[in-house]
Amino acid sequence: MNKITVTFIVNGKEVTLEVQPQERLIDTLREQLKLTGTKEGCSVGECGACTVILDGKAVPSCLILTGQIGGSEVLTIEGLEVDGKLDPLQQAFINHHAIQCGFCTPGMLMSAKALLIHNPHPSREEIKTALEGNLCRCTGYEQIIEAIESVVKNKKEIP
Amino acid sequence: MISYEFLTSKKIEEALDYLDKFSKVQILAGGTDLLVNIHRESPRLPPFDYLLDISKIPELKFITLVKNFIEIGPLVTHSRLISEPLIKDNFPVLIEAANTIGSTQIRNRGTIGGNIVNASPAADLLPPLIALRAEVELTSRKGKRALPLEEFLAGPYKTKIQPNELLTKIRIPLLGDNYYTDFQKIGRRKALSIARLSLALVTKIDKEGIFNDTRVVPGSATPYPQSFPKTEKAINGKSIFNIDLEEIGEIVSKEMVSVTGERWSTPYKKSAIATLIKRALGKIVEEVKTNE
Repeated sequence: MNKITVTFIVNGKEVTLEVQPQERLIDTLREQLKLTGTKEGCSVGECGACTVILDGKAVPSCLILTGQIGGSEVLTIEGLEVDGKLDPLQQAFINHHAIQCGFCTPGMLMSAKALLIHNPHPSREEIKTALEGNLCRCTGYEQIIEAIESVVKNKKEIP
Repeated sequence: MISYEFLTSKKIEEALDYLDKFSKVQILAGGTDLLVNIHRESPRLPPFDYLLDISKIPELKFITLVKNFIEIGPLVTHSRLISEPLIKDNFPVLIEAANTIGSTQIRNRGTIGGNIVNASPAADLLPPLIALRAEVELTSRKGKRALPLEEFLAGPYKTKIQPNELLTKIRIPLLGDNYYTDFQKIGRRKALSIARLSLALVTKIDKEGIFNDTRVVPGSATPYPQSFPKTEKAINGKSIFNIDLEEIGEIVSKEMVSVTGERWSTPYKKSAIATLIKRALGKIVEEVKTNE
């Protein structure tokens, strides 16, 4: 089995790592880079807990081999906070109690962030579509959608 | 854990060299099916020694209009397909189907080429692509060959691709004027659902309101998606003003059972497939009447 040397950007910082052929992006993030904010739920791309942003798009990090992403840019939940200040989405999740056990939260936030990168003023339906691959098994989706809507609304108010 | 050597290519030529030089190579693109099968050590997965990642080959990511065809690179993701104006203007039925695939995350990774080569009986893009008379281009060190998608499929999860070949292009002829299309799907829930049954319909309706050149391709109804010629023939020549949808529903059910025989799911699928064709035809009939 060959080891693969791969260079990519994680949360703005370039990293060069040796990875195993079977190593998935979620394994590299959690085990090599100790970025344990990204959670592993179903391991088959159905729950969204492991969602990260790869080259601007929300993707399941359990269905990507790290060997595939040389030259790419990854944003994880740890990269949302800038200079000690929470991302408006993170703050909105707190304000709207859009968290219960918290396991789905990083994935929810990354899906929401990816949506707002491409579409700063999504409709409620577009928010639902962006979150359709993220399962929450405790608190439900209402507060989460409201939290995202509040960020969209604030953006509209600031010209 | 399945063990393999990892290979990666950024050029078609290089990938073809690998396919030529090594045996037991499994090709990896979006990974939304393959990496699930590897994780689960699925018995469906043929044994392989090498995993060849082609996901970063820029030459396989195009969507272009070439004369009367739209040509699509196999690495085009479902998300890209959905947002592409050329597809929206010419093949909205493909977008309808792509929209029902997995979730946003899955659509961001999964590719049209993967959907074709994986050849699942429930593949969402296969019914509309077959109905649109898509062709696939396969390239190897020895050259290129093209064949209709419907002939390329050889069974559930089976295609006629050779171990040294790479799917390099999907080619779809433009529809002429007066063509109408629709895609229907039933899943267990709205998002992230595998099709329990789907159906793509492409048909031409002339000035007198007569159906012709109808193509009916259900998904998850037969071992792999295929045209339903008897149903197509029954629709052709009928008028939008008096087509008997109940009768067409019975014909499509019978045609399905003639392929599959009676299975545990047949009582459900018989009535469900009739409903899908009635919905698809009904929608198109309404559309034509509104346009007049």
